[in-house]
Amino acid sequence: MPAQFRKAAIVGGNRIPFARANGAYARAGNQDMLTATLDGLVARFGLQGQTVGEVAAGAVLKHSRDFNLTRESVLGSRLSAATPSYDVQQACGTGLETAVLVANKIALGQIECGIAGGVDTASDAPIAVNEDLRRMLISLGSAKTVQQRLKALSGIRPGQLLPEVPRNVEPRTGLSMGEHAAITAREWEIGREEQDQLALRSHQNLAAAYDRGFFDDLVTPFLGLTRDDNLRPDTSLEKLATLRPVFGAGESATMTAGNSTPLTDGASAVLLASDEWAAAHDLPVLAHLVDAQTAAVDHVHGGEGLLMAPVHAVPVLLARNGLTLQDFDFYEVHEAFASTVLATLRAWENPGYCKERLGLDTPLGPIDRSRLNVHGSSLATGHPFAATGGRIVATLAKTLSEAGPGKRGLISVCAAGGQGVVAVLES
Amino acid sequence: MVRTVLSETPALPALFARATLSARGRGGDLPDTRLAREGVVADPAQLAGYARVCRFPLGDTLPVTFPHLLAFPLQVALMADRAFPLALPGLVHVRNRIEAVRSIGVGEALDLEVWAERFARHRGGATVDLRASVSAGGEEVWRGRSTYLARGAQAPEGAPDADVDVEVGVLDRIAAQWQVHDDAGRRYAKVSGDVNPIHLSGLTAKAFGFKRAIAHGMWVKARALAALSGRLPDAVDVDVAFRKPLLLPSTVLLATEQVEGGWDLAVRNASAGTEHLLGTVRARR
Repeated sequence: MPAQFRKAAIVGGNRIPFARANGAYARAGNQDMLTATLDGLVARFGLQGQTVGEVAAGAVLKHSRDFNLTRESVLGSRLSAATPSYDVQQACGTGLETAVLVANKIALGQIECGIAGGVDTASDAPIAVNEDLRRMLISLGSAKTVQQRLKALSGIRPGQLLPEVPRNVEPRTGLSMGEHAAITAREWEIGREEQDQLALRSHQNLAAAYDRGFFDDLVTPFLGLTRDDNLRPDTSLEKLATLRPVFGAGESATMTAGNSTPLTDGASAVLLASDEWAAAHDLPVLAHLVDAQTAAVDHVHGGEGLLMAPVHAVPVLLARNGLTLQDFDFYEVHEAFASTVLATLRAWENPGYCKERLGLDTPLGPIDRSRLNVHGSSLATGHPFAATGGRIVATLAKTLSEAGPGKRGLISVCAAGGQGVVAVLES
Repeated sequence: MVRTVLSETPALPALFARATLSARGRGGDLPDTRLAREGVVADPAQLAGYARVCRFPLGDTLPVTFPHLLAFPLQVALMADRAFPLALPGLVHVRNRIEAVRSIGVGEALDLEVWAERFARHRGGATVDLRASVSAGGEEVWRGRSTYLARGAQAPEGAPDADVDVEVGVLDRIAAQWQVHDDAGRRYAKVSGDVNPIHLSGLTAKAFGFKRAIAHGMWVKARALAALSGRLPDAVDVDVAFRKPLLLPSTVLLATEQVEGGWDLAVRNASAGTEHLLGTVRARR
């Protein structure tokens, strides 16, 4: 065992532009996008033919043939075939979780460098056969006699020929993520206009970042796209205000296609290493991954919102690192929905909630909103589930590096199943 | 009291047919009869199908509602017999109580005994309780009490008042939304054997006075309990009232609330708010 831990360095990142579903990447699969993203990272940091410590990545919507998605992508990439790889799946937390896993191995001295990533496609989704048909086919496969085969086949009904398309629905609650978020938005009395304002800022910040070339060394064009095609640089509060609510019901429905993330295709990857490895390879250190924390809430019977787990994870992370919520220069709060970000911030400011739910004598308090998602977030970029964590880690690391040494950033990502992953980065 | 031990489980379709044909001209008091079976072991295929349809995890112990399936054919045999005073077609399951003394292993040999009791007066007719007792190795491990309402029927002189309500607290937090498809009755019938025509199709349900096919109450109960999988003790009392029938198809909402000693439950229609099930789940002391 090493005598002491070392903080893993974030060397840089790469992603392909994110594309709205059934658009530019409609014909690309998860493996195509992840391979292209890894190759972009390889090209950027001169890793051709090299063996990195490991590659950890994953996808949320994954076809069963892609059981070894990351390994197969590595084999198809310009990395050495001797690079070990594995898949991770923690819903929308996947991308950040892979970065934490790779960073932890670097911190322990088990590897010197590694790549963390994620990919998702909502276009090339793994459609499954109807459950009844699937069971019939399984019994047909295990039938040994003609009679058994005929018996199995006799169970076929025309309705079973309809395939099952993956739905964005929580298995235990039967509610979509948007419907869950709408419940939370109502509980926290999140208004329509503040959601639209947050969405507008996300688009404006992302557009400005592209315009000044911020993403030039973070994004590699793919299949004709050079920018995230969900980005609407010219949107306005007026335009956003015209959209009809799509989640929630009645007067209290405030969530629209404008202040919710669209289904998106895309991939991202981050290169992490020890300081020594980065120096030996003449590569920069943008920031270090200081610490991370996960949490989960009971969104089924516990009366907590599906996307509120990061609210619980952050105070644990702060306490362990002797920090307050105000000790950060930048905040990256994943914009699953504008209302999710606003409910998260409101919960941290609420003394009753912080005491009863988080066990805190004093609330975490407000943050300086001008430090939030300064280069845009998921509302503007789109949200290919497992790719979002890598996008955020690379974006924040570069943001901190630009701001100078000693700057600190907080990442908060909510995930399906009532989970959350949060992390602290420092330049 | 006459106690008859059956050598095999009676076939439910034949019983339903016989009960329907002999529905007229019934009356009198409850028969002093008990039906029993000995050494019954759950069928693994039926258990797997039941677990899937009700969303219980399949494991090495029986879901708390499963012994009802084992005892149900005996209860129907009792009711189909001409000596039973009420006509089986049209009987409505209005309350079901289960006392699980301990969990039951999948391979345990179970002795079943069923009887009818508590012929009671109800404002809409008369109710009767079908009881079930399940023992393993001479020790009672599970008790069931299904209260059925016979509309327009009359309980005998001096009968007690019906007891069909279950008290629950405020239930305004939604735990889940269920899309209950129009084949829900057929699916449950297939795994439970309860082929009562009111559950199978709109046409057969209409013949018995329902607008559309209705979901089995015991399926609604089982699915609500399955939603609390992992949160209930092995020794547990579950008491539910079946309110308005759940017409198929429907979208319904499950509401749960943790209370002292257990949980309160409600299943209601998602748009109209009609109550289908109210129930309590309590750890046995």
